[in-house]
Amino acid sequence: MCGYSTWLFLALGFAGAPAVAAEVVAEAPTDLAVTVYRAPYRRSGSFDLNRLNGFALVSETRVVRLPAGRSQVRFEGVADGIEPASAIVTGFPAGVIEKNREGALLSPSALIAATAGKSVTLLRSFKKTGKTERLDGSILSDAAGGVVFQTSQGIEALRCSGLPETFSFSPATGLAARPTLSVLVRTSVPVIRSVMLSYLARGFDWSADYIATLSADGRTMDLGAWVTLANGNGVGFPAAHTQVVAGRVNRESSELLPIDAGGAILALCWPRGSTSDSPAVLQLSTLADARMAGITLAAPMTAALMQTAGMALRQVEQEQLGDLKLYRVPERTTLASRQSKQVRLMDRAGIPVTLVYGGDFAADTPAPTAPASRLLRTKNDSANHLGLPLPSGRVAVFAAARGEILLEHEAAMRDLAVGEEVEIDMGPSPDVQVAVTKERSTKTDDSSRVDISNALGTDIQFELQLRLRPGAHVVHADHPAGAKNGRPIFRLRVPANGTTILHYQTRHPVS
Amino acid sequence: MQTRFLYTGWVSWLLMGAAASAADRTLSVTIYPDDLALVQDRRDLEIKGGRQRIEFQDISAQIRPETVSLTASDIGIVEQNFDFDLLSPAKLMEKAVGREITIVRVNPATGAETREQAQVLATNGGVVLKIGQRIEVLRDDGLPVRVIFDKVPENLRARPTLSVTIIGAHAGTRPATLSYLTPGLGWRADYVALFDEADGAIDVQGWVTLSNSSGATYADAQTLLVAGSPSRIDAAKPQNYYRPPQPRPTLSQAGTEAGSRERLGDFYLYPLSERTTIANLQTKQVSFLDVHHVPAAHGYEYRNHWLGTADSAQSAKSVYSFSTSAHLGLGDQLPAGVLRFYMRDKRGDPQFIGESRIDHTPMGSTLSLATGDAFDVKVRAVVDKRMRRGAFEWQTDMRYEFTNALPGAVVVRLLQEGLWGDSRISAESAKSTRRNAETAEWAVTVPANGKTELTASFDSRY
Repeated sequence: MCGYSTWLFLALGFAGAPAVAAEVVAEAPTDLAVTVYRAPYRRSGSFDLNRLNGFALVSETRVVRLPAGRSQVRFEGVADGIEPASAIVTGFPAGVIEKNREGALLSPSALIAATAGKSVTLLRSFKKTGKTERLDGSILSDAAGGVVFQTSQGIEALRCSGLPETFSFSPATGLAARPTLSVLVRTSVPVIRSVMLSYLARGFDWSADYIATLSADGRTMDLGAWVTLANGNGVGFPAAHTQVVAGRVNRESSELLPIDAGGAILALCWPRGSTSDSPAVLQLSTLADARMAGITLAAPMTAALMQTAGMALRQVEQEQLGDLKLYRVPERTTLASRQSKQVRLMDRAGIPVTLVYGGDFAADTPAPTAPASRLLRTKNDSANHLGLPLPSGRVAVFAAARGEILLEHEAAMRDLAVGEEVEIDMGPSPDVQVAVTKERSTKTDDSSRVDISNALGTDIQFELQLRLRPGAHVVHADHPAGAKNGRPIFRLRVPANGTTILHYQTRHPVS
Repeated sequence: MQTRFLYTGWVSWLLMGAAASAADRTLSVTIYPDDLALVQDRRDLEIKGGRQRIEFQDISAQIRPETVSLTASDIGIVEQNFDFDLLSPAKLMEKAVGREITIVRVNPATGAETREQAQVLATNGGVVLKIGQRIEVLRDDGLPVRVIFDKVPENLRARPTLSVTIIGAHAGTRPATLSYLTPGLGWRADYVALFDEADGAIDVQGWVTLSNSSGATYADAQTLLVAGSPSRIDAAKPQNYYRPPQPRPTLSQAGTEAGSRERLGDFYLYPLSERTTIANLQTKQVSFLDVHHVPAAHGYEYRNHWLGTADSAQSAKSVYSFSTSAHLGLGDQLPAGVLRFYMRDKRGDPQFIGESRIDHTPMGSTLSLATGDAFDVKVRAVVDKRMRRGAFEWQTDMRYEFTNALPGAVVVRLLQEGLWGDSRISAESAKSTRRNAETAEWAVTVPANGKTELTASFDSRY
């Protein structure tokens, strides 16, 4: 009883205190800009529409009409994933006194909580007669553990009577229906201002989707790419200036205080179950419904599009942003709620490539026959018709067969700066098989044989890389050994329909 | 009657795109193992000239939107969008926040309807309505209330929708190709091998099993199968000297013969000779290999790990081996799949005797496949003695007992593994061969309904 009166007192006290701040709702945005950043800890490759862990900087320009004095300005309909601590508001005549993200959204349970201790009308219906009884009363408990209310007839629990019962509330609860940021400002005279609100919001991501098309002889490729960006928020951004940023930015933000999306009014008593049919709450991590569950985003194939090169009318423009790369969509575009969008990133033709077969094995461990891996290798420089930053994404490699352009392989690609070696994984080759056999072994020495068989009708280049134990080295080999990244490498030629056998001996310190 | 008419109208609107151009539509589907397919859909498209938004609805439900490309002459692509905000009762209400809806209350006793206008305030865990000057929660008391909406918001779709914004250089109908990747379509190879013990030969049939769970039907499609595997080779990953137990290798000799099949890069293509319809949730089988009377050997194999000792006799593995060479073999590449062995019983009916998985196998290879345990051929490996010979030196005496309950003699290949470092065989009752540094191999003949014993001493060091 004591607790109840304290709460009542506090609630009344709160309601009575500042009293003067007029509530002003900012108008819908007149100008929007969205800059999408990738999920910082996602591996290279593409993203999953169901888990968009990147973020975006959203800037909204809105018109605000302020009366003189203190005003609580409400920016309704900001992105669901807003990080309130990152919000910056500029354009008010005097500064901002405080910023709030409303923690609780308008919901049945929030209504009960906001009305606790205040007067409310109970509607009780009688199915037999169809009559509805209206009773004035007040709510004593909030919705979390079932609702207790008081009328002139005494104290009762909601919907424990077996009769259809509900409340009719009076308006002006101060609860927002949509994610809302509100700021408290002061001005001496009434003004109309265009203010800008910028904030970081979660539930976005982007990646590059490359399409490599190999020429008929396999010596060159054409490389095109799309920027694929996705918005998982329930809020859309119409006619927005859209940018994406490549490179990894540090993110230290702690957990967001979750928005209390509220819930139904629970009838927890002598049970009868819950109350209303309610739509699912906006969830940034599980965006779409079950039908979409299997979809992951990956590379576009755009085979035929490559033949009509230059037909993608709108290419993003690249600029340097500190140590990052910014790509700008040249004209305004609408980024709708729960949408993925593609805009052309680049098109390059005639890039020389080499196809290399390879294997990577522990030097003193046998390995059963397994297919060799294939790599498409080139360099990101202007001599190779590249020489531009290549943001991380997925690459799909196409080649011609049977008069059609078909997908040959898909691989992930990391961020590649100008001058770096570009290696595209082409998957294992069933026709080139490698087996490592340990032939002899002593206390310190291991002799191994590697059989590389080639069932292809052409000679191939094969790179065998060895991983040595600490302190071990190659003492003898019947083919010349080189070194790459501090590890021995054998560059071999395997003839068409032939087998190349390599013998080597390694020595390690006595353990 | 009226509702039925409406329903029909709605369906035809959805399928209009497909139906109108069905005659000029050509589908080709390229299917990869591992649940991936490339769909190329050629059809006539009406280009208006100027900026135009084209929506595609009759496509795979699992389409990977970012892989889409639309090609036609004299058009330019502005952008491609994929909307995955789907129409549902909950979404309809969610998007009505801030708008007016009509609610119809039904009196439970009399059935009388009362219409009211209401403004939707919020949909968080229950619909909060503003009716006149009061606030209520929709259907909170469980009484029947109908909600009527004026229209469906623009961004809500019946299914995920792909749209491409283009600029057409001039107006007119022209052929266009829409291509995209979709999971939900896959294939695998299944082999049926009939072994003839008396002839020492097998008949092998290869079947491609196609499955479609992509949610769409590909009618009259040109179908091409690619025998590639998109996954990476495991050997390329650093293993930190930890060796996981290897499954029994099936490829005893990798082949070097090039076949006549068409290729895409290093992968073989298996075109289906005729157009076919791949219906949703359908499994389809097509033959790609049918070879008769290829020499095959049946043998037994037993692997004993280092210091492996058994209280009771263990069955040897029943092993079949044959070649994929053009000469005295299957004469083809084998895409990865499962090979099922059959053998005729006394009445001449084929009976299943076991199966084994194979990887992509080049032509000219020798395969050795274990189908299961031999009931009648058993091996008991025993560590007889283990003596310390020096500070770090040990002598291990092994005894292997072979039993054969069959009416004919058999040869069992015994593999003793784990001969690490400079382990040596100091004495043996039959001559062994060293397959590799770590494995010694014996070929042991066990007489019909008889026994054989083999002993060997190993010197090993730590």
